[in-house]
Order: sequence, then structure tokens, then C-alpha cells
Amino acid sequence: MLARTVTHALVGIDPRRVEVEAHIQGGIPSFAIVGLADRACQEAKARVRSSVAAAELEWPSSARVTINLAPAALRKEGSGFDLPIALAVLAASYQVPARSLEGHAAFGELGLDGRLRPVPGALVAAEGARRAGLTHLVCALESAPEVALAGVEPVGVRHLGEAVSYLRGEHEPLEPPPPEDDFEMLACVPDLADVRGQERARRALEIAAAGGHNLLFAGPPGTGKTMLARRLPSLLPLLGDEAALEVTRIHSVCGTLPPGAGLVRVPPFRAPHHSSSVAGLIGGGAGSLRPGEVSLAHRGVLFLDELPEFQRPVLEALRQPLEDGFVSVARVAMRAVFPARFQLIAAMNLCPCGGRGDPAARCACTPERIQRYREKLSRALLDRFDLVITVPRPRGHELAGPAGERSAAVRARVLAARERLRTAPPVRSAPADELLERAVEHLPLSGRGHARVARVAATIAALAGAGDVLPEHVAEALSYRLPREADG
Amino acid sequence: MSELAVAMFAASTDSHLLDEPRSARFERFRAELDEPSILADLDRRGIRWVARGAPGYPARLRRIHDPPPGLFIRGAAELTLFDAPCVAVVGARACSSYGAAVAAELARGLARAGVVVVSGLARGVDGAAHRGALDTGTTVAVLGCGVDRDYPRAHRLLATSIVERGLIVSEYPPGVEPAPWRFPARNRIVAGLCDATVVVEARERSGALITADLALDESREVLAVPGEITSLLSKGTNHLLRLGAIPVTCLGDVLAVVGLTPVPQVPALIEPRLEVIRAAVADVPAAADELVRKTGLPAGVVAATLAELELAGVVVQADGLYRAVMAVS
Repeated sequence: MLARTVTHALVGIDPRRVEVEAHIQGGIPSFAIVGLADRACQEAKARVRSSVAAAELEWPSSARVTINLAPAALRKEGSGFDLPIALAVLAASYQVPARSLEGHAAFGELGLDGRLRPVPGALVAAEGARRAGLTHLVCALESAPEVALAGVEPVGVRHLGEAVSYLRGEHEPLEPPPPEDDFEMLACVPDLADVRGQERARRALEIAAAGGHNLLFAGPPGTGKTMLARRLPSLLPLLGDEAALEVTRIHSVCGTLPPGAGLVRVPPFRAPHHSSSVAGLIGGGAGSLRPGEVSLAHRGVLFLDELPEFQRPVLEALRQPLEDGFVSVARVAMRAVFPARFQLIAAMNLCPCGGRGDPAARCACTPERIQRYREKLSRALLDRFDLVITVPRPRGHELAGPAGERSAAVRARVLAARERLRTAPPVRSAPADELLERAVEHLPLSGRGHARVARVAATIAALAGAGDVLPEHVAEALSYRLPREADG
Repeated sequence: MSELAVAMFAASTDSHLLDEPRSARFERFRAELDEPSILADLDRRGIRWVARGAPGYPARLRRIHDPPPGLFIRGAAELTLFDAPCVAVVGARACSSYGAAVAAELARGLARAGVVVVSGLARGVDGAAHRGALDTGTTVAVLGCGVDRDYPRAHRLLATSIVERGLIVSEYPPGVEPAPWRFPARNRIVAGLCDATVVVEARERSGALITADLALDESREVLAVPGEITSLLSKGTNHLLRLGAIPVTCLGDVLAVVGLTPVPQVPALIEPRLEVIRAAVADVPAAADELVRKTGLPAGVVAATLAELELAGVVVQADGLYRAVMAVS
């Protein structure tokens, strides 16, 4: 007897329909999986067999069982095929009515005791099911909220036995737990009130949030650069439906979605270590193509601490996503396009030893060493930072000062400014233009520097609620420009 | 005597020569040297050659005990530049932001008063002095390598500006690479060209102190800028002061040495709202955050005011600390 179930494989962050065919025929007892299945997929044999036994069902042990994963030319990876394989075998051996599988897709990993485990990418698999015209997706109970997001009815089950009794019509699927409230998730993001002092850096962060500007912090270690950056998501607007779905899809594929979470509404925050590889940051990898950190930070914040310590190729590879908002990764066998529209926040020391700018430490770096350290950052990359601020080490008594303003208050201003920038962006007044021209003449300010200052000034005006960009807005923007030594 | 042959021979043998050596090797070298074609080549590259015996050779330099046989000179300025009062402003390469600010401001004031600021185009104090001088006047850079070398590389752009409005000089022919032993030799030219030498910041054993010693050997004035007694960068300058160097407390101290009086400067008009912040950084350099707390103004207003003050040249920023530009006049 031949039976068939449908599931979806992940290619990058897109679903590809895969039909799982099970054929049971007489002959020497055997169990084979064909159709370019990788190692994890081949090992499904052991898990499926034990699960069937654990669910007190019968394995067709006196027959030849062949599983075909079609299309045969597509490489299949991962453990999400366990459940569809088990269901196909059970249908082919008449233990599950074949007709009950109509309109259903299946996705999930089985344990030896028959329990169903969630697998990364449930949201994408569910989107594939919807596109294929299927109405239900049998999956692990933990994946059910994700599946529901795609507009497919989730059949969340904890055990293979439950899946079988559902298909036999013996009982209805369990209600999935309601997804966590958006605002509760926002409460988990650290608040700006924790940052004491640092008025200038807080101000820069507010401007960055309002205008979506990339921001570079320079200063000795321990001045709270990382702490500030982590608090940027708490100032950003929650993601809209479409953006949230894009973000959730990427995090679903990478398995970085918290269990039971619904749509990701809070802009994500990613802080990869400076030893990260190009593939880790941009996406790619040996086997299948996986999104990198820039895509995990899509619609959110990418924080690169110790920026000059990143390998040069990694930094140069950042330029394409910063420019285009996506990365396209190509390998001989396949190619994928991942969205990567993120806000870049970076931090660096003023010198390799970190002592510069810190009155309590003595910097032992030679000028040549400092020069080499700063030269690691190309002009092209530095040009992407609209805001550059130097954060000196705060003195002891500042840290004992009162708590800063809460994120919620700053966020309200940011949202109002964003609205203003969208509907009626402030226009530069004549005196503001004059100041900008004077700055070009008297300061080392390149043509691109000019454009950066103009952009930031518009954001500052919007934050101030002004209809026009006034000289004081341009002046403030000027104070966040690239320092002289870096702006050759 | 052929000064050009001596200069070329010294460069090709990596030796320090003032006069024609009595050796067969030099005779052979001179016989093979095609002086007219070398001079034509220099001319084509816009490099002037001034022999010790020629008019235009700096008079003060000719008076030192080991004047170079001649100078290779690049730049648009007239050679009469050397007849004007000249002051060397030298100091540490790894200087503090205080040192850089003082060097630049002194050089600016000196150049405004018509003094030619001479230095070595090195990083740190030298570079700041050249930059400051170019803001209001002209400057001379003395190199320890060929004038076509633009060493150090970081000062390539600065060298281009000096060529446009000042002079770059060297006793070495074009193409000669920088070498450690050539820098003290270069320093004798820096000191020799000048009426006085100002040391801004120097460690205990610093090239700037060599320049000061050479200046003393030639009975030229030596001045030093006092520094914090706890800073390594002040060890050398404070030592000079103890030995009797003239302390630099204002621009007038330097100008007095060359017999000039400061050009009275119209104080920059500063609006009252800017004055609050300027006054706050007048005594000690401060980070923007400290100013926010000191003045009670919002961070945005402080940032805007600081930028306007920077633009007006009243305040400078380095490593996140703002300081008022020294009132040197």
C-alpha cells in the first residue's frame, strides 16, 4: 500500500513543498529512506520506529518499507521530517485512515518515547502549507502559536499517539497556549532608567532612535557603551504586522524564537562577538544557507562591540546590507536572499589598550599603534555612521546620581518625531543653511559629512517639534560628527 | 667647491659631510656626477637647490658650526622667508591634547605676528604647530629624508598644504629614505634656522630636547611651555625650565624674544548663551556630560553650543573632552 503526507523543507527562509511517500510491500524486511536525505534525516529511521512502538502502534516488521522524499533532487535536512514519515508509514499500514491526512501538513521531530519536539522553522513550514492550499498543520504543541500566525489551523500535539487519535477522529486537538502579550515582551527589554549620567550618550541614542541613524560610540571600556546600546530597542516603535511576520520568520528558521512566543513585535537586538565569521554575520554556511546576524537583526538593532577588532572582510561585508537592506548569499548549489534592514550601533575604544580617554588609566599606545587601530575601519564604513560620539569615563559621583529618564518617556518623543518625519519632514531654514556652509568651510567636513549632518539636523528638529530646521539643530548635529583625525 | 657633489656623495654613502672629503672615492664620484642634468631634473620636479655659498641660503643657518652644504627646497614661498623672524615649535610626537592645543595656538599667534614657524613635520606637536601656523601665516618643515618623501605618511595632506604656502626643506637629495640617525641632524637645521626654539611637551629623553641643546650650542634662545609636574610629558620641558629656559606663559613671551609685540586681537564676540558654556570649560577641560550637570541645560543644547564654540575656534575637543583654547595673546 502507498500513502502520502505533505511537509515543507526550508531553503534559506523559504518553504519548499516536500511529499513524503511511504510504500509497504512484501519482501525481505527493511526500512529505507530515499530522496537526498541528510544525516539527521536518515536517522529518522530509528526515531520513527521507536516512536511507533511507544505509541502502542504496530511497525510493519515483516515487510519492506520505503520512504521517498519528493522532489528527489532537493536536499533535505533536519529532523522535521520525522512526523510526516511516521504518519505516512502508519497510513500505508492502515493504522491511520489515509483520507484523514487530506488537507493536513505535518512537521516535527520525534523522540524515542514518541513525544513530539518543536523544530526551528515551524512558521515557514506553515506558510508553505497555506500556499499549498492545506488548512491544517500537525506539529508540536510548542510550535502551535507560530503556526497559527501563518493563517493555518495548528494541530498541536505532544505525542505521536495524540496525532494518531486526532487523525482517527477520536479527539480534538488541544488549544495552544495564548501567545505572550506584546507589551509584556516590551517589559523584558532593559529600561533606559538604569543608565545614570551619560546625558550626551542618552541624547544621541534618542536621536538615533528617532531618525533610524547608525551610531558609533567611542570611549574607554566600562563607560556603559554596551548598556546604552542594549536599551535602544526600548525606544523604538513596535513592529507592524508585516514587519513582525518577516522578523518572526527569520527567528523561527534560526530557532531563536522564545518558546510559546507569538509574533516578534519588539525590535530584535543582536550583539555578535567580534570573532564572528563572514558567514556568521552575513549568512550562508556549508550545508544549507542560513540567515546571519544581520538578518536576525532585521528591523531591529545590530550592536558590534569592539568594532575595530572585527576581521576586515567581515566589516566590509556589512556594507551591502547597510546599503540595500538585504543580503544575497550565493553558493554553487543554491542562493538565497535574506532581508537585513537593521540599525547599526557600534562601539570602539579610543586606542588598542583602552586607556585613552580614561583619566584613571595611562595609555601606553604609540601614535602609530593608535593610527593602525583606527585605520582598521575604512572610510566607506565610517561613512555609514550618522552619529559619532566620544564617551569619556564618568566620574564616580555621576554613577551615584539619580536614575535617568524612563524609556517610556523617551519613546513617546521618538514616536512623535518619527510621525513628524514621515508626514511633514522639517525643511532647512536659510540661517541653518548658512551655518552648515560655514561649518563646511571652517571644519574638516567632507561632502558626505555635510549630508550626514543635514540628515541628523532634520531628526533633531523633528524631535524638537519644529517645522523648520533651525541653526541650533544644525549646531547640535555638528557636535556628533566624525572627529578630525578620522575625517581626513 | 661643489656643494651639490658633497650633498649627493654624503647621501650615497650614508655619511654626514660638510666639506669635500679628500679621498679618491669622492674624486671619482665627482668626476662621474653630471651636475647640469641633476639640476635640470630637480628643476623639472619643482625642487630648488640652494648651495651654502649661494645668496638665498639662510643667513642664520650659515652661522652654525656645521651648516649643511646646501638645502633642497620644495614649496611655493620665497626664500626671503628665512630672513623673517623664525621660531621653532617642537615637542613630543605622542603629545597630549593640551600639548597639541598649545602648539597650534602659539603657532597661530606667531604666524599672525609675521613670524615663520619652523618644525619637523612629525606627528604630535610638530604637526599641530604647522597646522596652526598655516591658519594665519606660513611655515617651514624640515625633513630628515628627501623633500619628495612626505614623511610621515599621516601628514601627507599637511605636507601638500605646506608646499602650497610655505617651504619644505632638507639637506638630503630627493629619494633619501628616513633613518633614525638623520633626525638629530635634521634637528640642528630646525634650531639653526631659528632665532628661538619653543619646546611644548617633551619626555625625559626626547628629540625635542636635542633640538633645544643644539639651539643653546648656537646661542639661540630656548623657551619651554610649563606642564603638569606629574606628567611624563612635562619631564623634559620642566627640566629645561629648571636649567634656565624662558617659560612660555603667553604668546607675548615668545614674541618678546624675537623683538615683536603681540598684534592686539579683537576678542571674538561671543553671545551670552555661548559664554555660559565657554566659562564652564575655561578652567579645566570637561566632558559634555559634566557641562550638562554644571549648567543644568539639556544635553541637546549643550551639544549645539559646544559645536558653535568649536566653529568659532574658542573651544577644541579631543577624546571627548572639551577645553577652552588658551588665551595666548
